[in-house]
Amino acid sequence: MPKTLVISPNKCTGCRICELACSYRHFRMINPARSRIRVVRLPHEPVDSPIYCIQCGLCISACPFGALSRDLKTGIVKVSFEKCTGCGMCVHVCPYGAASRDPESRKALICDLCDGDPECAKICPEGVLLYLDPDDAAAYKRIAFSRLQRKEVTPLKPDAR
Amino acid sequence: MLGGKLCGYAGKILRVNLSKKKVAEEELKLELLRLYLGGTGYAARILWDELERGVDPLSPENKLIACTGPLTGTLAPCSGSIEFAFKSPLTGIFGQTRAGGGFGPRLKYAGYDFIVIEGASDKPVYLSVIDGSAEIRDASHLWGKTVHEATHMLIEEIGDPQASVACIGPGGERLIRYASIMVDYDRAAGRCGGGAVMGSKKLKAIVVNGDRGIEIAKPDEFYDAAREAISAVGRQRMGLGQFGTVGGLKGLNESGALPTKNFQTCYYEKAEKMSGEELARKYLLKRRACLACPIGCGRYVWVPAGPYITPPHEGAEYETVDMLGVQSMMGSLEPLIRADYLCNTYGIDTISAGNAIAFAIEAYERGLITDEDTGGLKLRWGDADTCLNLLEMIIERRGIGDLLAEGVKRAAEKIGRGAEDFACHGKGLEVPAHDTRGTSKSFAIQYAIGNPRGACHIEPLWAGMWDFSGSGLGLRELGLPWPPPSRFEEVGVRRGEACRLLWLYGELASILGICRFSMQGGEDEILTPARLSRLVSTLTGWELSPRDLLVISDRAYTLKRCFNVREGISRKDDKLPKRLMEPLATGPTKGQKVENLDAMLDEAYEALGWDKMTGKPKRDKLRELGLDDVAEVIWGT
Repeated sequence: MPKTLVISPNKCTGCRICELACSYRHFRMINPARSRIRVVRLPHEPVDSPIYCIQCGLCISACPFGALSRDLKTGIVKVSFEKCTGCGMCVHVCPYGAASRDPESRKALICDLCDGDPECAKICPEGVLLYLDPDDAAAYKRIAFSRLQRKEVTPLKPDAR
Repeated sequence: MLGGKLCGYAGKILRVNLSKKKVAEEELKLELLRLYLGGTGYAARILWDELERGVDPLSPENKLIACTGPLTGTLAPCSGSIEFAFKSPLTGIFGQTRAGGGFGPRLKYAGYDFIVIEGASDKPVYLSVIDGSAEIRDASHLWGKTVHEATHMLIEEIGDPQASVACIGPGGERLIRYASIMVDYDRAAGRCGGGAVMGSKKLKAIVVNGDRGIEIAKPDEFYDAAREAISAVGRQRMGLGQFGTVGGLKGLNESGALPTKNFQTCYYEKAEKMSGEELARKYLLKRRACLACPIGCGRYVWVPAGPYITPPHEGAEYETVDMLGVQSMMGSLEPLIRADYLCNTYGIDTISAGNAIAFAIEAYERGLITDEDTGGLKLRWGDADTCLNLLEMIIERRGIGDLLAEGVKRAAEKIGRGAEDFACHGKGLEVPAHDTRGTSKSFAIQYAIGNPRGACHIEPLWAGMWDFSGSGLGLRELGLPWPPPSRFEEVGVRRGEACRLLWLYGELASILGICRFSMQGGEDEILTPARLSRLVSTLTGWELSPRDLLVISDRAYTLKRCFNVREGISRKDDKLPKRLMEPLATGPTKGQKVENLDAMLDEAYEALGWDKMTGKPKRDKLRELGLDDVAEVIWGT
């Protein structure tokens, strides 16, 4: 059975080790601009959060060149490097900002879960990124979804003085 | 090298001349890299070669170098460092100052290992360094803004929320001699007045980001080394991560090692109320880490309401809590958090500011400054509101604040009448929150000579690691005397030899571009010399053993001393303020004093290969390090 990447909320410190590890795994170099996972730090709020592809597949049908497909065995969205023209349609439709284009090749950067062995989940020092069986993962998805309904805390803007 | 490209480096220096409004690129020099590796070592060589003796630190002739090392921005743990090197306007000697955050890594991703800033602009400017291209831009709309405001405005202007900003606040603009360079809002390169150097050049900020990568010579081996190192250093999460650096405050107080009341004692009755535990209970919003850090000591805190209100910000490190809060005996955290926030957003060093405030209270108590000087402000121990008022006077250079903004050395010289006796500085740099008597006697030599920049606790390394904390740091096989003696013994316990090894090991942090918190702790939870050697060798492809690394750091460390010697520093300057030798007044370490400083220094000079009469590194020592040309300058041909 395929596994699912989820996050345990409120634990991320924003260290970006996941970004660095992602670029190493795919390009054998360190370059967070080529990472498929991105950490967002909000400057005036207590928020650090990894934004990652949830493998929803919205991009698949949007690709005009048929470069994207879902591997039916693992559930992973795959990019065909040959077919991808770098048009950016997948980046356009992705609601989470999880798809981007590689600054070097200009082709689609979409998480491939490291072919079922995601480096980010293995290296995350805080245990934020979890790679779990779908049933266990669903519990974390529900927590993430419920957080959309929490009471909004308005942060102070700079400068308070 | 991979296909002719350096591994571990961006490979380029950006040279910015603000007088001529010109930017230019230079290649890193391979022969210098092999000698100094990078960071402040490489920068020290540039400053030695390019600054003439006696240059005014606030003149266009001074240079400010933003430096990274080979490990900066890689998967090596705690590699989010940026160091700045310059001649210090506070001390008049070699100055360096470090911040975490993400500026160093993003400078490398932008395509540069170093930025050398020369000259001075006639009107406010900022420097944008994005994706390999640099531009000097107008900053008149940013001048006068606080660090928080200016950073926010710059991020919006650049249109890249991931960009990293190093900027100065009004403190740097007003040339406060201990003005800081602030990175990513709240990360402070606080010491030595780098912010004033930027202010004198009318350089408000530097913005960096980029999509360039760092090549790895042996990717798989490096990744294995990095994963092992991340998991080792990550063990510090339980301590440093959970309660931050201020988590140590209670324990230090119980050991009689918490500097209080302008170093009159090392014990504070209300320490519990200023502790890391109290901070976590009441004010901590979340933990924050710098780039590539598995520890996460950063405290994202706020005071949500009341007279000491602050926005959420990263703050309340141990140093700040002690120097701004405990020294003046504030007694509670809220005014301290507010004071810290003001220092951050106005861009001044919390250590120097706290030291200056405590000095002023004592001077007032002794009648050396009066109501007339303070504008009617009655300075007392334990009066938080008065401290905040005094801090604002420093920030605005108003009344007595104008004098205190010059640092305690200059302030004491101006006040005279014995004020020097309790002005706590080493070579003009205000003494931080670790004590020569209460913490470890190693701090006596650390403050006198250990750091080329003056009295500093953390650079090259926290000197208590050996005898106070009892860690071998992976240095035992390299000759660290073991077991360590009691922390109170002064001579005949090989303190000089031990400190030399600690200093050379610690120097590697600013050469390689990592945070010292990855190098302080038990051997299973730090980057020992062996771990550093594995990381650097697999990253750069150059085989560098732990011993090789120590030779490189010896070269950099010795060169910095020579820079100071060239500026006129000699053994007579290697001293402690009288206060730090006097018996402690209360607490578990009551009565402890420093009695044999000269003998301790003799041992240290001997270990370092420095001449005991003059304090100069010996000619033979310099030749051994390949610094023949430097020897000629300081000893003559």
